[in-house]
Formats: sequence, C-alpha cells, structure tokens
Amino acid sequence: MPVVIGFEGSANKIGVGIIRDGEVLSNPRRTYITPPGQGFLPGETAKHHRGVILTVLQEALDEAGLKAADIDCVAYTKGPGMGAPLVTVAIVARTVAQLWGKPLLGVNHCIGHIEMGRLITNAQNPTVLYVSGGNTQVIAYSERRYRIFGETIDIAVGNCLDRLARVIKISNDPSPGYNIEQMAKKGNKYIELPYTVKGMDVSFSGILSYIEDAAHKLLSTGQCTPEDLCFSLQETLFAMLVEITERAMAHCGSQEVLIVGGVGCNLRLQEMMGVMCKERGARLFATDERFCIDNGVMIAQAGWEMFRSGHVTELSDSWITQRYRTDEVEVTWRD
Amino acid sequence: MLFFENKGTFNQHMTKMPLSNRSSTKYVNMAACVSENDSDKKLEFFLKVPFPSEREAAIALQSLSPDPEPRKGGITKNLDVTGHTLSVRWTADEARILRVSVSSFLDHLSLVMETLDAFGPPVSQ
Repeated sequence: MPVVIGFEGSANKIGVGIIRDGEVLSNPRRTYITPPGQGFLPGETAKHHRGVILTVLQEALDEAGLKAADIDCVAYTKGPGMGAPLVTVAIVARTVAQLWGKPLLGVNHCIGHIEMGRLITNAQNPTVLYVSGGNTQVIAYSERRYRIFGETIDIAVGNCLDRLARVIKISNDPSPGYNIEQMAKKGNKYIELPYTVKGMDVSFSGILSYIEDAAHKLLSTGQCTPEDLCFSLQETLFAMLVEITERAMAHCGSQEVLIVGGVGCNLRLQEMMGVMCKERGARLFATDERFCIDNGVMIAQAGWEMFRSGHVTELSDSWITQRYRTDEVEVTWRD
Repeated sequence: MLFFENKGTFNQHMTKMPLSNRSSTKYVNMAACVSENDSDKKLEFFLKVPFPSEREAAIALQSLSPDPEPRKGGITKNLDVTGHTLSVRWTADEARILRVSVSSFLDHLSLVMETLDAFGPPVSQ
C-alpha cells in the first residue's frame, strides 16, 4: 500500500497531494492570480510558488494526518510547463526526498491529468481530451503509450480563452476561464469567428487574432457586448474540440470520452461533448474542479502507478524540462 | 619574449595600450591567439555556503545541480561540496547574464535552506 506525495507547479497553481491506493488523503492548492488584463510570467509565478510551497506541503501532511516517515515515494512534475516554476517545485521535491530517504519520481504533467481522470471516473479505455491553458491534445492509449491523435498546432484552447479575458479585462479570480464561462451564459448574439480544424488537429492563434481585433471594433461601436464575445468564442472553440474528439473516437472505435485539464471544468464544453457522445452511444466522463485544474494529487497518482511498476528517477536525472511529449513515457503500468 | 613566460602580466600590460596603434593591435590579437582559453576575459563569481553538516551540504548539492542553466550560452556554473561547504563558481561573458544566474541561484538556495529547516534534520541512512 504505497503512500505517494505529489508536487505540482508547472503553471500558476501550486499543489501538493497525498494518495494511498487510490484514496485521496489530501490535496491543498494555491493559485497565483494576476490583476485583470495581465497574464502570469515565469519569474513572478516561481516567486509566488517559493513563498507558499512549504506551507502547502505541511498542510498536505496535516490534512492527511501523516508524518514524513509514512510517505513511501516523492513524485513531482518533471514537465512540461514553465521553466522557473517547475524548477522551484522540483528543488523542494528533491530536498524532501533526500531528507526523508525516499525514492523520487519525475512525472509527466499530462499523464498526471490522465491517470487522475481514470481513477476518479473509472473510465476503462477512453479517448481523452486534455484541454488546459497550456495544452490541447486528443489522446488514446495503445500498446504502452498515450498516443497523441490530434492537438493544437499553435496555442492551447485555454490560452486563447485567457487572452480574450485579458483583452476585455475581466477578473482572473478564480480563473479567467471560469469568468468567461459565466459571462457566456448571458451572451446571446453569435459573432461568426474563423473555424480552424486541420484534419485531426486544431489551430487557435488565428481565431485569437481575429477576436482581439473584433473585440476592439465591435465593443467600441456597441455592436455587441463582452458577453456576446465570450459566448461566440466558447461555441466556436468547443465545437472544434468536439469535432476532433469525435474523429479520434471514430479511428479507435472508442465508446468513452474523458475530459481532463482546467478547461474540462467548463460545463458548456461538457454539455456539447455530451450531445456528440449521446449521438454515438458513447459515455462521457469528466471530473470536478478539484481534479480538472492542476493539483498535487494527480502527480501523486501517476507517481503511484509508475512506482508500483518499478520506475524511479535518479537525482542526477531529475532535471525539469519545458517540453515533454505525452507519448515519450512508456506506460508500463497498463497492458 | 616576456609574454610567453608571464601571460598575466603581459595581458594586464596590453590592456593599457591604445588599440588605435596598429602595431599594438597586432600584439593584442597575438595574445588572443596565444592564450589557451579566454578565461581572463570572462567574469568570475565565487560563492561559499556553509551547512550545519556534511549530509545537508550534500543534499543541497543534489537538489541544486540537476537543472541546466536556462540560457545555453554565455554562462557556466559549477557546484561542488567539500566537507560542510557548498561552493559555486560561475564564469560569464557579460555582467547581466551573471547577475540573472546568481540571483536565481540564491533564490533556489534560500528555498533549499528553508526546506532543510522546516523538514529536516535528514533521517539516518
């Protein structure tokens, strides 16, 4: 019954979580929130994480009712993500692993999301849509790899949403995507935007340029409201995601869809995906904001799977990396 | 030929010579070719950090050494431990590159030390 602690801090969320045999013992998290109109930069984000990580670590132990000696393995995010925050978190993980005399495990952030989604929803072999501020991929498991069937060829869907939020200067608390979702519910005018699905892949940077431009023109002339822009962007982006997910499902003959990543919290996306799944007789799985949004326990869970199947990361190999493809990891814990 | 016997003195001497003088320009170029490496032209920074024990110094080394410098060129950093002391040596082409690297390192070092304080002492091996 190994107990694994997981450290996550690849973007603006810093989380530490503890898991034992599929049971979440604790999962505290803090988010670095910038003022409206501003994104988060690596140096400032790392500084935020440095300031709170030890507190969050202690919280994780206290909430789980555990001492350091009870931990069997220390997992942390090796990548992908932003360099400076990743280093900050890795440094603490390496230090406590040595202090406690426990093995270290470098985890792929995307696989963390997938493994947590599988655990929480009990989906057997789903087509996974991983959508967040930093990543947009359609993934399916095959022969020891999480294979990327389709992805963004430029920016992530969450990045596109976050940058609209910056243009219309809405609050980043609790997250820009959440606030866009609330505003979209009040939008009713559909503004036509480019629709850029490229086969199995998607492209968002063109849509972003277009809507940034349109926002300035239409808002200043009063032709639409910010709510209309939020509504139109969501409808367009989510329809594209549903299309590429369906395409991957058709290729794999899959009857399950699992949505993971911060954008997966969005109920409208879940609704649209649900409509497609119903048409195909497939089941839709999604998690709530505790596990959709970056968190420590998803790293712990992926670490737990890896640890049980014999993986360990040597300290000298524990360097972080900003680029880390989902299919680079050999998934030895699945058949 | 004085400069082969005592390179340091020669270089020091050469920097004072006006480079507009054609013959001295030729000597500066010769010095550049002759010297084994350009370490005399680089900035150097040394840092020594004492730890309460050898074990903690070793832990700090292992926590701080795996990640490569974000900037590939223009800076090198070497970490070493002797006894209770972690020593770090930087060489850099430019002061601003050096400043960024040293500044980041000190932030990371503080984090290691805070972690050692909060979650130490190390378990016996």
